[in-house]
Amino acid sequence: MLSTHTNGKPPNKREVLRLVKEHDVRYIRLSFVDILGISKNVMIPANELERALDGKVTFDGGSIDGFVRGEEADMMLLPDLSTFAVYPWTAGGHQEARLICNIATPDGEPFEGDPRTTLERALDDASDVLTGTSTALEVEFYLFDVDADGVPTTGSSDSGSYFDINESDRGETARMEIVTALESMGIQVASAHHEHGAGQHEIDVKEMGLLEAADALITIRTVAKHIAVRHGLHATFMPKPSEDLAGSGVHIYFTLPSVATEAAAELHDGELAEDTLFAIGGLLEHAPAFTAICNPTVNSYKRLVAAWDAPIYTVWSHRSANSLVRVPSPENGRSRIEVRSADPSCNPYLAMAVLVASLAHGQRGHVLPGDPLTGSTYDLNDRERERRRIRTLPKSLRQALLELDRDLVVRGALGDHIYHAFRDAKFAEYERYRRAVHPWERDAYLRVY
Amino acid sequence: VIDTAVMSGDELIEFAEGLARIASTGGGPKALAAHLAALLDSAVLVEDGEWRHVALTGAGGRSVPASSRDAIAAAGKDGDTPVVLETPGTGPSGIAVRIRGGDAAMGWLSVFPSTTSADGRVGAIRLTAAAIGVELSRDAGGGKNRRKSFWDRLIARAYDDPIEAKDDAAARGITLAAHYLAVAIEAEGLEESVATAKMGDLRRICLETLRSGSGDIAVLERGGGFVFLCPAPLEVDAANIRTAATLIPRTATKTHFGAKIVGGVGRAAEAVAAYRTVDEARESMFIARRLFGGSRVMPYDDLGIYPLLLRGGATSGELRSFSDRILAPLRAYDEKHQTELIRTLRLYFEVGQNVKTAAAELSVHRHTVFYRLRQIAEISGHDLDSAHDQLTLRTAMAIDALNPHER
Repeated sequence: MLSTHTNGKPPNKREVLRLVKEHDVRYIRLSFVDILGISKNVMIPANELERALDGKVTFDGGSIDGFVRGEEADMMLLPDLSTFAVYPWTAGGHQEARLICNIATPDGEPFEGDPRTTLERALDDASDVLTGTSTALEVEFYLFDVDADGVPTTGSSDSGSYFDINESDRGETARMEIVTALESMGIQVASAHHEHGAGQHEIDVKEMGLLEAADALITIRTVAKHIAVRHGLHATFMPKPSEDLAGSGVHIYFTLPSVATEAAAELHDGELAEDTLFAIGGLLEHAPAFTAICNPTVNSYKRLVAAWDAPIYTVWSHRSANSLVRVPSPENGRSRIEVRSADPSCNPYLAMAVLVASLAHGQRGHVLPGDPLTGSTYDLNDRERERRRIRTLPKSLRQALLELDRDLVVRGALGDHIYHAFRDAKFAEYERYRRAVHPWERDAYLRVY
Repeated sequence: VIDTAVMSGDELIEFAEGLARIASTGGGPKALAAHLAALLDSAVLVEDGEWRHVALTGAGGRSVPASSRDAIAAAGKDGDTPVVLETPGTGPSGIAVRIRGGDAAMGWLSVFPSTTSADGRVGAIRLTAAAIGVELSRDAGGGKNRRKSFWDRLIARAYDDPIEAKDDAAARGITLAAHYLAVAIEAEGLEESVATAKMGDLRRICLETLRSGSGDIAVLERGGGFVFLCPAPLEVDAANIRTAATLIPRTATKTHFGAKIVGGVGRAAEAVAAYRTVDEARESMFIARRLFGGSRVMPYDDLGIYPLLLRGGATSGELRSFSDRILAPLRAYDEKHQTELIRTLRLYFEVGQNVKTAAAELSVHRHTVFYRLRQIAEISGHDLDSAHDQLTLRTAMAIDALNPHER
């Protein structure tokens, strides 16, 4: 195992160069994501690293979906040294490492189409109310079998369910190796376990900074896919691989800063601090609009149905497993807010940016969330929802995009460039899906009509 | 003897033109009353519907005797006939006419001649009353006071029927929400030298914290504090107002208000029955001060049996309603999920809160009892470790036992 962060501090340029030498790293992947959250990278040999660390490596941004037009194509990669990590595997016998990068224009200005830069800007915008906020993640995914031709299936020889132990299960072994790899890359794992579906797993990562958490989700997706292949499996973060299986979500916890001692003294038993209430209020108010970003595929909406505890309404509660926002009782004056709707197909930088903007808007605008719900949200009838002004989360990507259009706070968090590029790409995706004839339709109609 | 002779047509026209000039230049009730006082060489008093002075002008002014008010109101109820004001022992001292704003009664205009030979000139008096009525019902200039007057009247139960209240609200430019929630707030221990400024601060803090976005909040001054009537069209608005009200002491602490704040929140009530939520808010504030201590605002819904104890004479209907309200969530849960939460709670209390004994009585493991008690606390919203909440649950169970729930 290899820990690249010494004393919990990110390495400086000299230390990165030393680590590369020390671990005999041959290639470095300069990694970034496109607007859709797909991980991309430019690989450089180790002897080019110093130039890369000086921000002198460019790439053709015009060839990346939604980035820039052809004439503005050359973009600079600015590595974030705190993300340096050596992969716990070799490729072709050569050791590899990665650095996650921000993207800048040829003038060196932050590129407004870069999701990571967008999150940094959102965090800066919210610094007046959210400084000191940390986040933790629970990431669900499937490890499926592949067929004889190496094509992924939606089947699993694993028949386990919640927290089951099956030592002969390849999925268990692969998950253990994924956790080990993540820890070696500096991601602290709180726990990992079998989830509800056959072949479904969950990895929970400990509290960290919000930008780090977005980086972590990208790393988890990369590492899980890589290690699954080595075990003859396929890792998928698709939100709903099969209608018969529980969907995969990402539960995002926000831990707000401690309440000041003076204010904490005014809290009665079990009471939430007002900043927590306002943050919940902001999340519920903007949930329909941020759904397009947190649930960005047509498949995401197959998960957001009244089953397997998926959230479908803008409801908060202390305990209900199917509420959109869950807030357990505060511990030591600190409240944790769990957002349960996002799924792992999201671009984590954009998802975090819109959630941060919603939290901040709630706090600045003193938005209250109504009373928490007890019991299952699925039991709410139309009248109760109307009385509590509870809204339904969008039921399709198209509905979600229309909600996004109407919400200036969420759009503002994305910035004009990303909002328009994302919207255009996703409307096009929805249109392709709408025109496609799906197997269910053939099964239902081919013989009947 | 008061002369109520009719003026000549030309005199009346000239007087009316004067009134119109005054009204068109924004003169207001006081200037209109002064115009009449000059004509009659008399004192003219304008009072609103609750006999509060709006204007007093001219020589020899005085208030309408309190003893005459009911008689005047009764005499003027069915029409606009001038009412002769009788001062005990001295005979007639003036006349009063009703001021109308549209169809709504807005108050009274009284004339007190300085000499008995003064010309009363009823036509001029009625014209002036009409002009003042228009001024009072207009939603400009002194609209704030007129709106306040409406809420004061509503809380004082001055309207005989809801339609009258709604019409009066409309005439005063107030759009009523379907429901209102009252928040009563007082500051304790303010030094006299800073009290006025601090009360201004308190009012601002409360309004900023309570702003709901669902309409205008009416502010009434009561005793040493305020009552805020907040529009609550939906259940969620009421929930948010309750939560916001409980945040007021914390906001005050943050802004270094420097005095203890105590308050109460009523339950949502229909607009025309807003007095009910005001009463509940003030009762809750009283209970919060007496029983809970500290700087806090208590919602009526969280006070359990105390409001009924405070009133000291609850009817059996009120007791049953209280019991049903407290136990309804548990009962509904039991019915829906085939659980035994009510039975568990009853047994738990009967055996002196001994979990082991309760488990034996219920033939379940003691962990099951703990689990159920946690469920009971969550579903009912009452903390079984709190003496206040225990009293509420125990009383509700006792009332329920005495009045079996109809199934």
